[in-house]
Amino acid sequence: MRDLKHLLYFENLLQEANNELIAQAKAEGKVCVAYTCENVPEPLLNLDGAFSIRLHAPHTGSMDIATYYMTNLLCEPSRALLERAIEGGFNFADCVITPDGCTMMNRCVENMELLKTMGEGNPKFFHEYMEIAFKNSETDVKLSVLQCTNHVLKPLHEKYGIDVSDAAIRKAVEEHNKLCRLIRAIGEFRKGDKPRITGYEFHVLTLATYVCPSYLVIDKLEETLEELKTREPDDKPWRARVLLVGSEVDDSGFVKLIEECGAFVCCDRFCFGSYPGRVEIALNDEEDALTQVCRHYIQHCHCPRMMSMDKVYGRKQYVADLAKEYGAEGIIYQQVKFCDPWAYERTLGSAMLQHDFGYPVLSVDRPYNIASAGGQMRTRVQAFVESIEIKKIQKEGGKA
Amino acid sequence: MMKKLLKLPLILLGIALGFFVVTFTVYFFNLDMKATALLAPLLEKWYDSREHDQYI
Amino acid sequence: MKTVEKIVNPVKRAGEQSPGKIYSDKLKVRARREWRGVKDTFYDYTRWLYLMSVLGRFIIVPRNVKGFFRYRWMMSYLFVPHGMDKFTIGLRDEALRIAHTSFNFVIADVTQAIANCFRGDRRVGNDKAYSDKCVITDENSMVTFMMGFDKEKVHTILREVPTMFASNIFHQFNVMHYLDVAQLNGIPGDVCPMPEAEAGISIDDDFCVLGCCAVQNNTTCDGSLMGNGIIAKRLERQYGIPTFQLATPLRHKEPDVLEYAADQIKQAIAFVEEHTGEHWDWDKYFAAAKRVNYATKCRIAQMEINSTPYPQFFGAAFSLYNDTNYMGNSGRDPNFVPIDRKLLELAEKGYKAKRMYAKEYRHRAIVWGVQPQYVIDMLYWMVQCWGVVPLTDMLSVINTDMIAEEDTPENREQAYRDMAMLNMEMIMRNHTHGGYKVLVDELWELCEKMNADIVMMWEHMSCKALTGMHGMFEDQARERGIHIMWVSHDLCDPRVFTRNAIRDQVSNYMRTVMREEPLDPSLEHIPDDEAY
Repeated sequence: MRDLKHLLYFENLLQEANNELIAQAKAEGKVCVAYTCENVPEPLLNLDGAFSIRLHAPHTGSMDIATYYMTNLLCEPSRALLERAIEGGFNFADCVITPDGCTMMNRCVENMELLKTMGEGNPKFFHEYMEIAFKNSETDVKLSVLQCTNHVLKPLHEKYGIDVSDAAIRKAVEEHNKLCRLIRAIGEFRKGDKPRITGYEFHVLTLATYVCPSYLVIDKLEETLEELKTREPDDKPWRARVLLVGSEVDDSGFVKLIEECGAFVCCDRFCFGSYPGRVEIALNDEEDALTQVCRHYIQHCHCPRMMSMDKVYGRKQYVADLAKEYGAEGIIYQQVKFCDPWAYERTLGSAMLQHDFGYPVLSVDRPYNIASAGGQMRTRVQAFVESIEIKKIQKEGGKA
Repeated sequence: MMKKLLKLPLILLGIALGFFVVTFTVYFFNLDMKATALLAPLLEKWYDSREHDQYI
Repeated sequence: MKTVEKIVNPVKRAGEQSPGKIYSDKLKVRARREWRGVKDTFYDYTRWLYLMSVLGRFIIVPRNVKGFFRYRWMMSYLFVPHGMDKFTIGLRDEALRIAHTSFNFVIADVTQAIANCFRGDRRVGNDKAYSDKCVITDENSMVTFMMGFDKEKVHTILREVPTMFASNIFHQFNVMHYLDVAQLNGIPGDVCPMPEAEAGISIDDDFCVLGCCAVQNNTTCDGSLMGNGIIAKRLERQYGIPTFQLATPLRHKEPDVLEYAADQIKQAIAFVEEHTGEHWDWDKYFAAAKRVNYATKCRIAQMEINSTPYPQFFGAAFSLYNDTNYMGNSGRDPNFVPIDRKLLELAEKGYKAKRMYAKEYRHRAIVWGVQPQYVIDMLYWMVQCWGVVPLTDMLSVINTDMIAEEDTPENREQAYRDMAMLNMEMIMRNHTHGGYKVLVDELWELCEKMNADIVMMWEHMSCKALTGMHGMFEDQARERGIHIMWVSHDLCDPRVFTRNAIRDQVSNYMRTVMREEPLDPSLEHIPDDEAY
């Protein structure tokens, strides 16, 4: 296929946490709200006058100092973020809001706070920690509303004068939904035998919406959507279609590696992916917007720390539904090394998707920066692709 | 009869003393645990031989 | 660096002076028991007889024999006397009596728990009427939500306690099989081995199957929360036992989570009522609340004694007794009250007589982090080998607030908040979760309060909440002039750190940093790596 017009532009935006669009938004006088977990309702961080940036640490190499502070058994993303913060890579942030979602990310941000890695010269700078919901219930919605009020809206209003009214939240949700519609529409081109966008390209675009001020990428996403409508797909078929599931993937190189092995990543269900993070939030006029946003995040949350059994089973059903919708022939359950929640979720998910839903599953752990162990991963994925091909041949009654 | 009654405390004392000597010997020389340690490998074999319905 | 006054014990210990000699590298148990002088040896012997009688009464029940051959973890309980000996190394006088009083009671409690499991177990006793009134709970679970149920009618079954937690104390290798099962089925080896072993037991079908329902919670860590999903799936889908997930907020010091936590307690109670058909009784609850407060008062008094130059009740017996009483009991069992009283009396008597555990106290330590089960005698070893007194461990630094104990309409609402508070501030998680202040800042406050010059830091390498603050502990200890002695371990997997590998970390620190020689050289290297 011909290269997407803006792909290089988006790829360049992902090379540094402190990208050019952050500088542009800050020059416009906006407040940069940094966050570290998908469980923080994003529209609340994108109220008028503020913009959200999900922290990531591209091209991470050594994590020596962070390893001193957190030891080598904490997950690599948490150490990579701390290392980058210590290096001064996140000095653009005006505050950090993080939920006590998983212990390791919480400890990462606590270390950032204690080491005073950010906020130098900004007396308004703050860190906030939130409790987040565990279950899908109205009690949890109430908890979430209270937490968002006390740890997101109040400090943003009191420190930076951000308008946190119902009208402001509705406006932010509208903009968020616009972004989601664009990503969803672009993602639709992954369906069918001849996809017009690769999993890698899609991940680059999606990732940019998390790590850049989203309002500044909308125009280029719209152009990309138009471009895709007439893009000529490749004739050469992919060897297999896979759904990529698991913990956070903010390294597009991982998706690229999978596709280089011949497996088309037809759908993404992971932290930093388009499912569930880029699903529109439906608002009605009867109830306040904050409650509805919180409810949306609870109902659509597929983070393994949601502990009720309807969520435990629901997460696997969700993966199976996506696999069916996008025509996946296999599922890659991946987990970033030393991540406790996904260690268990990967085990249970792999077993259930294989035994209860009948999908071939590759279950792997991986480093944060795939470049550090690309060879091993490539071997695993190649073997998986071959096994899917063999299954296909056997199914068609042919001889392998 | 009286003689028998007089002997009873002595018999009880003898039993108590015998019980004490035996159990204290077992206790002090850790014979209870030494015997258990001999038994443990056999038990491990028994548990290893059992089939389990492994299920996730 | 901070220093403390050295105290020399003016009284020579009765009996043998070098307990290290009773270990043998040829046996997997000790060569003999310790000679403690006539009086204390006889006392220890009578407690051994008592333990034998507890075990004997257990094993004469046929269903318990059946259970013994069905479940691999039961093998550990053959080694109960061996396990008890770990709690009494070098002890005399009140210290010996405190260790026996507390831990004998814990053993009796665990034995009863096993008997209860077997009675209701579908594969062993299969007493259905009994099982229908049983509620399964997690090992790391505050059972406050059961405080208002009649314990004769609704039975709380902490089935993971005898299966995994306690059994590892008596037999260091028994958990390895379940860890292997978990890892063979895909769970990585870097997660905390405790919930991993519990998941392994479930996967291996080696839990007793009983109960009308189960209540799980997220009290300890991400691993524990996640392991529960695997366990609940088997309970629900294979055995038809419904589960309830009692969500416990992590940021327990924030007032804005309390109402949610209280609501969760209400939901758990309603769930238990629905499945057992029994009702919550406020009289029972407030009677239990009184006992919780009494236990709290006794614990505070014990900690006060431990703050003096002559601490009395510490080490594994202290933490495990608190664990059982505070968490597993939560005031439900009145039998704990006389034990609390007796332990306090013994400690007061020991304090007045200025009893010491060793020849010399050179350092006063706060023990932080989580202890490995298979080196349960470590703190007794540390005081006798090196003269480092463990004033308290982290697991024993728990709630000091009194809860409402009078039955009034207001207190009935307060009761839910009290239960929620106890649940949120459960053992271990009250420090490992809730922000760095409860883990780091509170440690330094405790060092000040108890006049400690050393922190003996258990670094449970898979505990991400603790290791995530490793550097902060280092930096801040240095700033405060407090020695920090890191002792790494992997909680219940002796393949990662053997017992000697663990003890050597203390010995190396004492020799190289403190430039000291052991008080009792016979203890410095104990050949027990292969022992049960």
